[in-house]
Amino acid sequence: MVILETVLDATWEHIVLVYTTLFVSIAVSIPLAFASLYSKKLEFVVMKFANLVQAVPSFAVVAIMVPFLGIGFTPAVVAIMLRALLPIIKNTYIGLSNVDPALIDYAEGVGLSQWQIHRHIRLPNAYPAMFAGIKFAGILANSIAVLTAFIGSGGLGEIIFQGLIGYNTRTLLAGAIPAIMLAILIDISFTMLEKKVTPGYMKK
Amino acid sequence: MLTLQVIANVWDKHLMTMRTIEHLQMFSIALLLSIIIGVTVGVFIYMRPKTANPVLNFLNIVETIPDLALIVLLLPILKLGAGPTIAACVLYSILPVARNTYTGLKGVDEQYTYVAHAIGLSPREALFKVRIPMSLPLIAGGIRIALVFCMGVVTLGGLVAAGGLGTVLQNGIQLYEKDAILVAGLWTGLLAVFLDGFAGIIEKKLHKRYGTW
Repeated sequence: MVILETVLDATWEHIVLVYTTLFVSIAVSIPLAFASLYSKKLEFVVMKFANLVQAVPSFAVVAIMVPFLGIGFTPAVVAIMLRALLPIIKNTYIGLSNVDPALIDYAEGVGLSQWQIHRHIRLPNAYPAMFAGIKFAGILANSIAVLTAFIGSGGLGEIIFQGLIGYNTRTLLAGAIPAIMLAILIDISFTMLEKKVTPGYMKK
Repeated sequence: MLTLQVIANVWDKHLMTMRTIEHLQMFSIALLLSIIIGVTVGVFIYMRPKTANPVLNFLNIVETIPDLALIVLLLPILKLGAGPTIAACVLYSILPVARNTYTGLKGVDEQYTYVAHAIGLSPREALFKVRIPMSLPLIAGGIRIALVFCMGVVTLGGLVAAGGLGTVLQNGIQLYEKDAILVAGLWTGLLAVFLDGFAGIIEKKLHKRYGTW
């Protein structure tokens, strides 16, 4: 029997792990996507790197972290981040680069600076694509955060593995159900954030 | 140190040409199914907005299961071999394709729909001639994410007797041959990058043909 407190603690650890990683990934991805607009070379390098990391099974990415960074919270964050980058960068880049050129021309005509064009035209235009990528990355992060329990990140993975090793369905479910609820929570939380940040003139 | 000699040795010893063909067979079946199912699901939830949230959340739950666990769960149902791997790939790839398709279709400017309606296109024609081409970049992006994903899952499948390059990795791990692990690992990564580049070329071609601006 799993004590409720243990489950709550693990859930909290899991939430911290997933959201920390997601926000770090977003903070890394979005500037990179913007920079990729300016430099084809950088875009090439970034995309290829993200693709390479993505092509390795997630289990292996988690395992590779150990010789490099040891075990614990930080390597887990790095492992999850490597997996979460591709969907965010890719979708943000697609969103940013697919703005109607006419719109950009208008904006330049009205005398907006490059920075204002990015801030008020490209970015809002990229929001739907960007958030689709972020939600997907969030779900992925949640899934890999279960795996990183192997390398001592804590979280719900520990309870799930306990259940698996002890062949105890109850323990397994005590870990798996909160993980599934978290997946849905991630989706809902970013949908809300998206509604919040989308300016009125972009709403349909 | 990886010299050409070492690579050639590993290549011959582990029958890597055959393994690569096996790998690509599984991969292409999985990817094709993913694209067909993913785009269909994306279009479906766009046509019926009420179903969008439940469907996406169901897919979210599927995506929450780590890939290794998914393959193991499918083993009793689909038996050993390529079946569970391909199924896991497809289950895993539906979400990125469907979500991007849905987002892309939703993002098409209303004006274009009005114009399509005004020149007398049926809703179906409007979907195929206007909306899908206009959301092509996002759909293609989703497919390319799925492509790279599939590569990882198919490799993982090699660890549960599905054949492909994962088998070489598995052998390398069991016999503790570092070179085999390295060569197979790098080769898989390179294949993914190469195929993604190829997908990019196709995307550009389509974009030229149906390009919006």
